[in-house]
Amino acid sequence: MMKDTDFTLRDFLAGRIWHREHIPFDTEIIDAHIKAGHIKVISGVTKTSKYFQQTHYFCRRCENEEQARFTTFQCAKCDGPCAYCRQCLKMGRVSVCTELIAWIGEDLVFANDHQIAWQGNLTPLQKKASAELIESNHQKKSHLIYAVCGAGKTEILFEPIYELLKDGKRICLAAPRVDVILELEPRLKAAFPETPIDALYGGAKPSLAPAQLILATTHQLYRFQEAFDVIFVDEADAFPYTADGTLKRAVKKAAKKDAPIHFVTATPSKQLIVEANKQGAISSIPRRFHGHPLPVPRYESLWNYKQKFEKGKLPPKLVNWVRERLDHQQPFLIFFHHIELMEKALPIFQTIDERIQSVHAAHENRKAHVLALRNNEVPGLLTTTILERGITIPNVQVAVVGAEQQIFTKGALVQIGGRVGRAVTYPDGDFVLFHHGISNAMDDARKEIVNLNKKGGKL
Amino acid sequence: MKECLLCATSLETLPSWKSLVGMEEQEVICERCSNSFERADIKEEGTTLASITSLFMYNDAMKDYLHQFKFLQDIALAKVFRKELNGVLKGKTNIVPIPMHPEKKLARTFAQVEALLDAANIPYLNVLEKLDTGAMGEKTRRERLEMKPLFTLKQEIQIQPETYILVDDIYTTGTTLQHAAKILKEAGALRVEAVTLIRAK
Ligand SMILES: [Zn+2]
Ligand SMILES: [Zn+2]
Repeated sequence: MMKDTDFTLRDFLAGRIWHREHIPFDTEIIDAHIKAGHIKVISGVTKTSKYFQQTHYFCRRCENEEQARFTTFQCAKCDGPCAYCRQCLKMGRVSVCTELIAWIGEDLVFANDHQIAWQGNLTPLQKKASAELIESNHQKKSHLIYAVCGAGKTEILFEPIYELLKDGKRICLAAPRVDVILELEPRLKAAFPETPIDALYGGAKPSLAPAQLILATTHQLYRFQEAFDVIFVDEADAFPYTADGTLKRAVKKAAKKDAPIHFVTATPSKQLIVEANKQGAISSIPRRFHGHPLPVPRYESLWNYKQKFEKGKLPPKLVNWVRERLDHQQPFLIFFHHIELMEKALPIFQTIDERIQSVHAAHENRKAHVLALRNNEVPGLLTTTILERGITIPNVQVAVVGAEQQIFTKGALVQIGGRVGRAVTYPDGDFVLFHHGISNAMDDARKEIVNLNKKGGKL
Repeated sequence: MKECLLCATSLETLPSWKSLVGMEEQEVICERCSNSFERADIKEEGTTLASITSLFMYNDAMKDYLHQFKFLQDIALAKVFRKELNGVLKGKTNIVPIPMHPEKKLARTFAQVEALLDAANIPYLNVLEKLDTGAMGEKTRRERLEMKPLFTLKQEIQIQPETYILVDDIYTTGTTLQHAAKILKEAGALRVEAVTLIRAK
């Protein structure tokens, strides 16, 4: 019979919903805590008969209920028909006969002595947004920080996070893309040296220590439940967060009841702005921290570029653009709408300079190539939209090939342009849209940038 | 909306008349994923095993596939190669999947070779039983060959003087198939062939 709570187990499991077989603790310890009523056991996938008696599955981990994402099969373990969720499969399969566990014992209490080591200066606009965010936290209101690329969004969060930490609150900073988390991790660890911080993304091992501040891809929030007093969603408009309803539900599920969920982005959706205005909690920063305007895109026609690449040829305009970058020793990014077209184009670009490389989502060398660009070891990269946000490379020049393609939405183009001129030392740069016809999204993006510059210039 | 089982991009194929009348199975993966697999179509001939036919090479795409199918237990992926398996096994009789140890099957919740055959709608006979649970990967080739039998015939099973076709997911050294073929031969099989989805090395 168990007398005491195992505090390491509580520290790990509190706020989480975890696959029983994959928990890094001995089976006996888990069993004893279940018996003592500190841990509750939940069936991984529940099965109900609604909608005209048709079987309806629901995943208790990721809350997926899209029936096409369940597979039914004859299960050897439960010796009968069973079903599992394919939505969250990569985190360890969850089926009807899988047991998930959640902590229901003694609460986890966090420290309230923290240090803030960040000593930079905020612009008046950043300062105002930061104060407004703190006020929204007091009122438990969700808040939107609508700040242009290069406004210094992360710095705005430092003071509000510090205030929350001192109140013993548990906080999550979530972003849809792992690149964003990887960039945030060292900055937050440096800012809060005394605070236990954990960064969670696919392939990262969670620490057993109870992290009061968690940085996580929105996917990782599938594994949390009523855990956080406040959640910040960075780059809230980035794929796959926008496209995927289960990720939105995951954020909600990870938040405690009535916990504010804040959004931070340069390109909010209309819906997000409408909702934030309703609450009255919105801070907008139409100006970069260094005070220079956002680069306005220029259009260059590149008729039938696809056919030219297919024939192994580079349009002269593109050759000239690349040559100019090489002559001036400016690092460059060229965005493509499709991996295959990019891969076809790469060897042709390499005839201009063999060091040119390409990156896409499944590329193992992605991080290395971006680092090489930053260190001037490669002159430029071809990329898919995977690099549209999160990265900062001083003096980078940006071109989009096929800017009229559907994948280049207004938001994507604004973000891509946001890579240009971020550093104080190089506040400007070329942002060119090579196209086979001008799309509405291109015009909308251009208009938005011009408008923001107008607003920012008046301040 | 139907999605590719491997990369989740939507499958925009319009149903053909054949699929509408149920004569043709719908695609379950996209063209891009499909092209990432490398056909092998190797046929080796030998004595205990009259022939071993392997359909695909073990490349990166196949490695990812096996990881998701076996390690992540994504039994939905059994469907991915149903057409190819059908191509070599359709209409054949005496098909014998290489069995899994019962404990391992319980842990995985399904036997992967049977799942592949079920997905391809190919009837099979469960005549063999797995004996040893030791992982093959940890043993040297000699140790494997010198090991005691890996399989035994199930009780009350009669092997006919006919051709039998063993099916396994992956062919590495051939030891597994050799052991299974030997059992069938000793029990009276006239000829034993093998089909594997993948050929490693
Ligand atoms: Zn799920
Ligand atoms: Zn089951």
